[in-house]
Amino acid sequence: MDALMILAQEGAGLTGNVGSGLAAIGYGLGAIGPGIGVGIVAGNAVQAMARQPEVAGMLRTNMFIGMALSEALALIGFVVFFLAG
Amino acid sequence: MDYSSLLILAVEEGEASSAELLLPAWPELVAGIIAFAIVYFFVWRWVWPNMSKTMEARQAAIAGEVTAAEKAKEEAESLVSDYKARLADAKTEGNSIVEEARQTAEQMRTDIIAKAEADAEQIRAKAREDAAGEKARALADAKSQVGSISVDLAEKIVGESLDAQAHQDLINRYLSDLEKL
Amino acid sequence: MDVILAFSCNPQEQPLCIPDSILELFELPVLFGSVNRTMVYIILAALVVVAALYFAYRKPRVVPTKFGLAVESMVDFVRNDIALGVIGPGGEKYGPYLLSLFMFILVGNFFGLTPFINFPIGSRMAIPGFLALVTYVIFVFVGFKKQGLAYLGETLWPPGVPVALRPLIGVIELVSIFIVRPFSLAVRLFANLVAGHTMLALLLGSGVYFVWTAANGDISFLKGFVVGPLWFVFGMAIFLLEILVLTLQAYIFTLLSAVYIESSLNPAH
Repeated sequence: MDALMILAQEGAGLTGNVGSGLAAIGYGLGAIGPGIGVGIVAGNAVQAMARQPEVAGMLRTNMFIGMALSEALALIGFVVFFLAG
Repeated sequence: MDYSSLLILAVEEGEASSAELLLPAWPELVAGIIAFAIVYFFVWRWVWPNMSKTMEARQAAIAGEVTAAEKAKEEAESLVSDYKARLADAKTEGNSIVEEARQTAEQMRTDIIAKAEADAEQIRAKAREDAAGEKARALADAKSQVGSISVDLAEKIVGESLDAQAHQDLINRYLSDLEKL
Repeated sequence: MDVILAFSCNPQEQPLCIPDSILELFELPVLFGSVNRTMVYIILAALVVVAALYFAYRKPRVVPTKFGLAVESMVDFVRNDIALGVIGPGGEKYGPYLLSLFMFILVGNFFGLTPFINFPIGSRMAIPGFLALVTYVIFVFVGFKKQGLAYLGETLWPPGVPVALRPLIGVIELVSIFIVRPFSLAVRLFANLVAGHTMLALLLGSGVYFVWTAANGDISFLKGFVVGPLWFVFGMAIFLLEILVLTLQAYIFTLLSAVYIESSLNPAH
């Protein structure tokens, strides 16, 4: 926890407060999961499209739905970052 | 220079919090509603009907072009078949004309030959007839002349006392015998 | 430089102004009363959309002009791929909404890259918030209109879920459909635009700042004239990336709106 506080202080610089630095770190951590999730969704969708190009339209739609679902977490993180900052 | 200060949010007492960024500003919301209403109304009332009109015009144009092309093709085809038929007609007509001419010529030839033969036959028959008539007349002449000449000759030879009638009968008999020969 | 950063200070003293808070990047100067430049841009975006569509469809042309072809391909894309492709045969009805959504968001996003405007109107929460709210109202309304109260049951307890799991699934679905959907729809657009705009301002501004301070002799010549242009080039690369991101976000917003409406029309899947 101490290391985190130091990171936050560094991130907040001279003028900011520790809370905003922590928020930035929190958002960075929160974005890891959705980043991996979106990557998996897009990668598998591309693989599926390569295997069956004839259903590419349907796959693309479903890909965006899946991406939207997993991205929602990152978006919540983004909002929390602003709220905490 | 501290660039991170661009991103670092100064939250001091009384100053605006960055959370404000997450809340819609009322004047902008009103502007957004008006702007989107303008766009939606325009699209709904004007673009969408015009779009289908454009598509219809395009479809009609394409359909018209296709039917025109089909019509032109049909016309061309009928023209070609017409020409072909006419060509065939002309050929058969030519053939029939040639045939007819040939037949006429043939007919003429046979007619002429037949006529010539008939004429020749006629001429020949007439000639034969004439010859026969001439021969008969000559024979008759000769017969009568031979009789009178023989009588004259016999009168002169036997003298004047001879019974003319009896001799005449004798000569006639002799002549008929002669004819039988 | 206030053109790039979309806020102003005294350019005699400083090449560009470092804002105290990120808010200042997104709060444009007030013109008069409560009207600020953002509001002007919002109305301008609507007028640009209307003008583009007007000139593209002014008369039904058999052979469209080049500009008309560009607009028409966008309109056809929204109509065929999104409205009809996602919603199905009933999608024609929602075509005008999806088209105005797409065009308005697209033009508003590209304001962020347009010289002398340089401000994506979607980075103010009012715009994505309002549009997401409209989509939310439409898909909830369509759901109740199409299926009556069964819409709630069908949505919260999809058929085939074991009875024991129903309360849990119900809560998850309730949160995900009626709260997270409109929220993520709005925040996705907002976040992408805020991040893009901040990034562009930061990188391009850094480039200018380095060169300027080096020219003033505050930092060494090498530092300023090597690092500054590098920042600027990096900013231009991000600029190109933003073209892709802004188009994609307009598409995703429209597509997800269509998907949500479709899920209200046909709850089976």
